[in-house]
Amino acid sequence: MSATDKKSLAERLGLKVYSGVGNAGWGRTLFAAVISFIYFFPVFWIILTAFKTHNDALAIPPKFIFSPTFENFVAVFSRAYSAGAAAQDTGFALYFFNSVFIAGTSVLLALAIGTLAAFGFSRYPLRGNDTYLFIILTTRMLPAIVVIIPIFLMFRVAGLSGTYIGVILLYTAFNLPFTIWMMKSFFDELSPDVEDAARIDGSSDRRVFFKICLPQVKAGLAATAVFGLILTWNEFLFALLLTGVDTRTVPVAMAQTIGGDIGVRWGLLAAIETLFLIPVIVVTFMLQNHLLRGVTFGTIKR
Amino acid sequence: MKHEKTLRAAVGGSAAVAVLSAGLMSAAPAFGEDVVLRMAVPDWPPTRIMKDLFDKNYKAKSGNNVTLEPDFIPWPDYYTRLSGSLTSGEKRYSMAVSDSQWLGAFIEGGYYQKLNDAIDADPELQQIMQDLNPALVDAYSTYPHKSKNYYGFPQMPDVLVAYYRTDVFCDEGEAAAFKAKYDADLPCTPEEMNNADWDMVQKFGEFFGRKKGETLSGKALDDDFYGIAYQAGKGYDFSTMQIASMIWQHGGDIWDETKAPTGKAEGVVNSPEAVKGFEHYLSLLQYMPPVVKTGTMDIFKQDELFREGKVAYMINWIGFAESSIDANTSKVSDKVDFAMAAGLKKADGSIDRTYNIGGQPFVLMTWNDDTTNTEALEFVKWWLSPETQVAFAKAGGQSGLKSVYEDPSYNSFRPWNHAFGTSLNNQKDIWHIPEFFELLVQQQAEFDKAITGQQDAKATLDAIAKFQEELLQETGHIE
Amino acid sequence: MMKVWEVYPLRVAFLSIPAALLISAVAITLLPPSVSFWVSGAVFVFSAFLFVAYAWGRHAGGLLVAPAIALLFIMNIFPLLWSFGLSFFHYRANRLAPPRFAGLHYYEKVLTDPVVWDRLQVTAQLVVLTVSLQMIVGFLLAMLFAKQFPLRRVLLILVLTPMMLSFVAVGAFFRYYYEPTFGLLSQAVRVFTGEPFVLLQSTAGAIAGIVFADAWMWSPFVMLLVLAGLVSVPKYLYEAASIDRISHWRRFWNITFPYVRSLLMLALLFRTIEAFKLFDVVFLLTEGGPGTSTETIAVYVYRVSFQYFKTSESAALAYILLFTVIVLTNLYLYFANQRNRT
Repeated sequence: MSATDKKSLAERLGLKVYSGVGNAGWGRTLFAAVISFIYFFPVFWIILTAFKTHNDALAIPPKFIFSPTFENFVAVFSRAYSAGAAAQDTGFALYFFNSVFIAGTSVLLALAIGTLAAFGFSRYPLRGNDTYLFIILTTRMLPAIVVIIPIFLMFRVAGLSGTYIGVILLYTAFNLPFTIWMMKSFFDELSPDVEDAARIDGSSDRRVFFKICLPQVKAGLAATAVFGLILTWNEFLFALLLTGVDTRTVPVAMAQTIGGDIGVRWGLLAAIETLFLIPVIVVTFMLQNHLLRGVTFGTIKR
Repeated sequence: MKHEKTLRAAVGGSAAVAVLSAGLMSAAPAFGEDVVLRMAVPDWPPTRIMKDLFDKNYKAKSGNNVTLEPDFIPWPDYYTRLSGSLTSGEKRYSMAVSDSQWLGAFIEGGYYQKLNDAIDADPELQQIMQDLNPALVDAYSTYPHKSKNYYGFPQMPDVLVAYYRTDVFCDEGEAAAFKAKYDADLPCTPEEMNNADWDMVQKFGEFFGRKKGETLSGKALDDDFYGIAYQAGKGYDFSTMQIASMIWQHGGDIWDETKAPTGKAEGVVNSPEAVKGFEHYLSLLQYMPPVVKTGTMDIFKQDELFREGKVAYMINWIGFAESSIDANTSKVSDKVDFAMAAGLKKADGSIDRTYNIGGQPFVLMTWNDDTTNTEALEFVKWWLSPETQVAFAKAGGQSGLKSVYEDPSYNSFRPWNHAFGTSLNNQKDIWHIPEFFELLVQQQAEFDKAITGQQDAKATLDAIAKFQEELLQETGHIE
Repeated sequence: MMKVWEVYPLRVAFLSIPAALLISAVAITLLPPSVSFWVSGAVFVFSAFLFVAYAWGRHAGGLLVAPAIALLFIMNIFPLLWSFGLSFFHYRANRLAPPRFAGLHYYEKVLTDPVVWDRLQVTAQLVVLTVSLQMIVGFLLAMLFAKQFPLRRVLLILVLTPMMLSFVAVGAFFRYYYEPTFGLLSQAVRVFTGEPFVLLQSTAGAIAGIVFADAWMWSPFVMLLVLAGLVSVPKYLYEAASIDRISHWRRFWNITFPYVRSLLMLALLFRTIEAFKLFDVVFLLTEGGPGTSTETIAVYVYRVSFQYFKTSESAALAYILLFTVIVLTNLYLYFANQRNRT
């Protein structure tokens, strides 16, 4: 702590920032707060818009102070589709469930399959191991629009079109390359001594994996999960083309607020986005410390 | 689990798979009573109302238990989703709402069903076809365009009409000032507005363009105000619809698919009349809100500007009208009226109002089995029955049946309906050939260059004509 | 460590892949798509099994890897190869005509098409601008958050939020921010100039608008990676440096930067791959306008495959893109290996 006390004013304000890790005081907090709020402002405006009536949303000059309304949040779930008609269920409760269910399941599934594979690649390298890893990474670079037609065909013949299973399997595959790469580097990082000792004591491979290796890479699992979640959460094209009306996810349904019988329903779009942000922010916040550690581990040494 | 099954089946060889897939395909509708009409539809009121009316009123005459399962897809992504589903061979839908211009591409692909046999065999359907406005039949149903091959029925017909602000146009002070400046009467009622031609619209633009702080209808403006707006956006067909109309009115033409293979693009698309029409279109842009300079003032943006009270006169689809008179979405809800869209005054004093038709037909798919197909046609007959059409029109839709829209009571359903029927007869449509999108995308990009001031009207139409001539020759549409 | 160009001995399992390619090429030529799909599917799954069996026989790891390989094969590699096959045939998804062999026709066509080169140029411009901006902003943000300070976790979440937003919302709202009548940017500028500010009316403005929105959204990604690097610098190095009274600049250059460099490279790689696919932001903000001045290659691929139905041409185009990305990836791997050695 004594080192911090001796800091110059400039350092306290965070102006000399490149000296690496360490502690900074409230000066840095203030500085970072200003920057963060500027950075956050476009999101903040979306959240504000969610609480505005249609007339306030586009007011000139833009309104920062207004009487907030919850009508947009109500309209997300139930509204009338023509003047004077009764309010209908918009299906958004289901869409939110679908998003959580599909993203959650596929991320977890990818984590399970990918961790096994990563362990395999790390501990029992095949001949040409790196080439396979590279090919796996390559699959992540495909322009989605080009492979969509064969996937479509496959789904139809297998009866997977518009089903949860289909889209979950697809997203699992979508998340796998990243998961494998990330988790492999975590396993590579572990010291083999503990494992060897356990093996000499007569532990089975399975026991080594579950009792010794897995607990050591918790941070990695968390980080991989968060990255996977962020990528899957907002995935649009596959969701548009492969989900049915019952399995539709929020990013697809969200587009109904732009360009129908009216340009953009600003309040409604903002309300959907605001609600849609909450789960992913909560998860990220909870796993934040792991996330930072995870990124460090996962990338420093491949 | 399921993918494992697929895997095993695949390894088993193609023969086993063929059997499996054949089994899957025929399994669904084989057992009589339950029939599901799965329909791809854009997610907006006309289709929501349709679903609503169906659930409340529909009872199949056959005694089958028919359900309508619309797949509500947001408009911005509707085309991508529909074409993805159709071209993949997924065969998911038995019906779809389709933009009329997509007919060629999807008929050539073997997806949309030819309906001539069904119509010939069914007097009720013949009666409906007779009753429909011929412009709608041409645009929504025929392929090749204006042939006797029928493919679709109107789901929601739409036309371009004028939206205008009564508080601005009917203000006495403004009328007097207008009279003083132009020696002409400022139109106020729909009847007067129906007589407005492009010269008049130009005057609206010039006269009502006001800066922040100036007065309008006796009140000081708290923001800039603009006289006119029409579509000038790069996306989809959001400038073509207006520009083609303008070119037709000036006696020019687009490449006419009904004249294939002798009809040319070069010399037609960039004819002096067409250039004049396009120049006329461009000359009015200066009176529009500044977003027009970005080339992104699409039908949604101009609609929003109008609803937010920034524009006095706008030409847009009737499909937007409902939201402009709804106080929840419109700041001008109590001061809007509607008229026929402006046209070009001819030497004899008549006004040419040739416009590009909007709206969508619905179509049946080729892979429907007999039961589904029969029920689908029954559904079409129900939808195009006068009772259903009246109910639809009362809820905010439009009908293309003469017996419905020509009935005097029709105009009382909605304030814009009087402009609908009268406009219908003047409608034409752009191309329906499978290369539609190539023509459209290139043309929209070139138009956008002209709208944003990168090139003039002549150069634009020359570039379009050259591209079309090459493409259409390559694809055999021009000899 | 990893070198793709290293040649490994071919075994039966690997020979099966070219064999599978050949069989499916024949199948696609001769049979209707719905049948040839399954023939080639069966052949490829079979070779995948050969591969797994091969691995199994030699290594226990094969068992662990098998589920992942199988899933990737079905969901990713197979469709990839399918469209690779199509790129050598005349085929349009909206025509009933069966595919005809075309050889390298479409590759030649794509590579000599001036429109493609124009779109690539636009893309390159956008990629360079948006990725550099992201690197700079991401780096600065990372430096800001490198140290512990009160409320760091909360403030960090604020900065991370943009990359969690949906493209639909980002596109719609940025279009609104830039809009001359209602938009916040125009309103702010108007206070000073009195005139509405029309950002997107020129090519430069449209590019700036796209770059700004995209960089805003993805700088946090760069920040996270750089932050990881900064956090990993051993403290004793700084302590030693402060004893030696080394200047801030040299301390940064000699101690901090080497630890961050490879992570910057990683960020650069990932962001470049993604920026190459830049689609949604462009489509929602400018629709490629004014004219075609911001139309990226990804937008063009969409048009060719989904609007023009030139299925084969779009497949060829996509493969050229994929090839480019693979080259970039190898460049990255090269740099990453360099770093591992230092």
